[in-house]
Amino acid sequence: MPLATVVTRASVLAALLVCQAGPAAYAQQADAAPPSVNAAAAWRAASRLGYAPTPASAQAAEAAPRAWALQQIDAAYAASRRPAAIPAELAGINAPLGDIARGFYAERETRKSQRQETPKTKPGAAMADANAGPEKFSRDMAQSAAAWRLMSCSDPALENPLLARMTEFWFNHLNVFVGKGPVRPFVGHYVVNVIRPNALGRFEDLLLASARHPAMLLYLDQAQSNNRGINENYARELMELHTLGVNSGYTQKDVRELARILTGWTVNLKDGEGFRFAERLHDKDGKVLLGRTFGSEGVSEGEEAIRYLARRPETARRVSTRLASFFVADKPSSALVDRLAATFTATQGDIRAVMRALVESPEFWAKDNQLFKTPLDFACSALTAGGGVKERRDIVQTLGFLAQAGQPMHGWQTPDGYKTDAGTWLAPEALTRRADYALALAQRTPEPSYLNAFFSTATRERIAREPAQSRAGLMLASPDFMRK
Amino acid sequence: MNSNRSSSAHLIHRRSLLGLGALSALSLSAGMPRVWAQAVPSGRQGLDSGRLVVVFLRGAYDGLSAFVPYADGDYYALRPNIAIAAPDGTAQTALKLDKTFALHPALSPLLPLWQRGVLGFVPAAGLPTPNRSHFDAQYQMEVAQSGKTSSAPGWLNNTAALAKADAGSAAALGVGEANPAILGGHAAVRLIPRGQSAERTGVLANDKTRQALLDLYAGDDKISEAFRQGAGSRMQSAQELTMQRTQRAAMAADKSLDRDGTPANPQAQTAQMVAASNGAADPVGLQLDAQHLGTLMRNDRKLRLGFLSAGGWDTHANQGAVNGQLANNLGNLANGIAQLRQDFFEPGDVIVVMSEFGRTSAENGTRGTDHGFGNAMWLIGSRVAGGRWHGQWTGLARGNLNEGRDLPAHHDYRAVLAQVLRGAFALGDTQLADVLPGAKWDKRLDGLFLKA
Repeated sequence: MPLATVVTRASVLAALLVCQAGPAAYAQQADAAPPSVNAAAAWRAASRLGYAPTPASAQAAEAAPRAWALQQIDAAYAASRRPAAIPAELAGINAPLGDIARGFYAERETRKSQRQETPKTKPGAAMADANAGPEKFSRDMAQSAAAWRLMSCSDPALENPLLARMTEFWFNHLNVFVGKGPVRPFVGHYVVNVIRPNALGRFEDLLLASARHPAMLLYLDQAQSNNRGINENYARELMELHTLGVNSGYTQKDVRELARILTGWTVNLKDGEGFRFAERLHDKDGKVLLGRTFGSEGVSEGEEAIRYLARRPETARRVSTRLASFFVADKPSSALVDRLAATFTATQGDIRAVMRALVESPEFWAKDNQLFKTPLDFACSALTAGGGVKERRDIVQTLGFLAQAGQPMHGWQTPDGYKTDAGTWLAPEALTRRADYALALAQRTPEPSYLNAFFSTATRERIAREPAQSRAGLMLASPDFMRK
Repeated sequence: MNSNRSSSAHLIHRRSLLGLGALSALSLSAGMPRVWAQAVPSGRQGLDSGRLVVVFLRGAYDGLSAFVPYADGDYYALRPNIAIAAPDGTAQTALKLDKTFALHPALSPLLPLWQRGVLGFVPAAGLPTPNRSHFDAQYQMEVAQSGKTSSAPGWLNNTAALAKADAGSAAALGVGEANPAILGGHAAVRLIPRGQSAERTGVLANDKTRQALLDLYAGDDKISEAFRQGAGSRMQSAQELTMQRTQRAAMAADKSLDRDGTPANPQAQTAQMVAASNGAADPVGLQLDAQHLGTLMRNDRKLRLGFLSAGGWDTHANQGAVNGQLANNLGNLANGIAQLRQDFFEPGDVIVVMSEFGRTSAENGTRGTDHGFGNAMWLIGSRVAGGRWHGQWTGLARGNLNEGRDLPAHHDYRAVLAQVLRGAFALGDTQLADVLPGAKWDKRLDGLFLKA
């Protein structure tokens, strides 16, 4: 068997090299007719303010792309005010924090006693145990959180597509890592209760909500920082990544001062509060952050500082730059960023207003402002084209693809979040691996023929030559489907 | 009191340098091309003369735990809970290297390399000025330009560009990251994913599917070009790595046959092969990636530059000491480096381990360490003057620390890299200036490489 495989591979390689030798043969296909102007705009709007058009949204967006895009903002905002439609089997991620904490502690205890009881000579026994009981609580919670993200990014009946997009953006901006032990079971709760409801609200409310959530408090070690020994981690990233941006003028001294302001901000998991301000762990001496004095006002000191950072012009610029890079172009023009930042400042950080300015900008619609799909874009759009997540296999395959592609769900270890530009994700071998995922997924997907309206003539004609059962996979694996 | 200490081998050299203080100051301050002090070694020059593998530890690893300054009382005073105990010959203490430093016990697989004189380090290197942002500092180190935030080519890509132009063939191979900045730029590079998926051809194995995909990606746009290039290199990578795995499994099965006798039937033989290849010898994680890198660079001799990275070093809380999260990470790293050395043992091969900055000399309030400045850079290779450390070391007395808290960066990381590039590839002044724009030669590091 292995030998036969090797032989096949060798001949396959030879064949490949031969066919690569003649690009001229395909030159006529490169002049392929593009889709209509409205179709291109609809593709752009639906792929960026969501992940992909559905048959219904394709029609609506193509009829009036700009109006449709603006409607999405209001619809997403309205959806963010309503509770998330989390399917019953995943509801655990949205349980009260106290329940999640109890599950986490029970898991720890079980693991501890298992370690003591399991004889080391019987690895099989330990394996069997690991498949049952409370010790897989965190793993289940992490999987449920990831499943919710995949279901919500691919099914408009379950979640407004732009709200799923904004949830992705803000989660990435305020990233937490599911691989860090105690953070693990809280990631889903953070997505649903911190990111989603604030995704089109005011930036400072979002920032403050993240600052008070166990996932963030534990991820950046703020929960452990106190007046007896501070930990600079959260304070630094709060300024460097969440608000002002690097090289924006703050100093190491400012990092220390902000860390001192936040001493006493910790978690209380046992009583289910989640956040707790521990007065006796708070540094009560005066502090000076970015030239502004903070007295001893307990928890309000930290709240003030966070709102103060959120309102700084450097923050408006940083957030606007990130939004423009995410939605418009890898390197957005400074004119666009200026306009978004002005809107951000004028509206006290109203994300909905900034998004409106973004969609109303000529840059959003400009043909030259190309974006290449990230692995997550690609996965969510492929799932959308197939009508959403239908079975467990869809989730397992998608999470496997994302991990292998370098964008595991909730799996970026450091607080800067994933990059989203083509420079990061357009890599030769990685591109061929998208085809593996697309063809696997498409074995269960009917042909999404409504997408043909958005594809070039060359792509349509080449796929039409294939047998029906191959077409769905090739559509999802085509170059046309890689752009957004 | 706080006079510079240095490894004994270097004392004489250092003194003579001090005697020529005026001259060395002159050579450090003058402009680049003319002051490369050390003569370019004669003989072969360029990428053909060596190979370089860079292992980047993302998140700022704690060099003071890897190379423990055990003779420095300040080290134990600054780190009451997380210091590594001074060597006493037992398992729970550091492994003595010399009278200044000892190795973290989790790095014990690397001790033989030190003893054989192929592992050395520069204990206090870093960016020219402190930058405590991981992401900013990493980017600057990858493009080898300080203060640079807009896009610039990575210095490994600059190095790859020195390879004799050979249509379509890459001189650099990256494992694991989608498109690391250090490899970004115009020169062609090969990138494979982490783990076993690098061994799979996937849908390209099917002739019809592959042809349909290549037809779809026949255009001259960037995406289509990337796909065609990726299809070719993926088929090749997967084939070579699969063959390598098959051979290893067969060898392991042979061994077990010698010991256990002939298996009764083909199923038993298969089971035996599977058992052999799934045994302790089958590497995972960084070690598997290192093995993939070694195999592909062995098979394609045009590949002269390799890149690997490992994360999880940002130990702000509960970093542990002899055991714990940092020790686990160091253990995995040691296995990866030891694996690399199995493939990179030729005279011109060099492995460099580096990180964006070091961590605070003192532990913080949560038994971890915060962002610091100077850090140890490791060098492994037959031409490395190993078994000793190089450059300046001034201990952990408060007055000698940067801002009273961090190791200083006595040596610009680019000066270390310049020594490496000359040591591995005998690069001339102009080439060094192309790869590391603005870097200056640091004579205090002369002697890092043995004369060819």
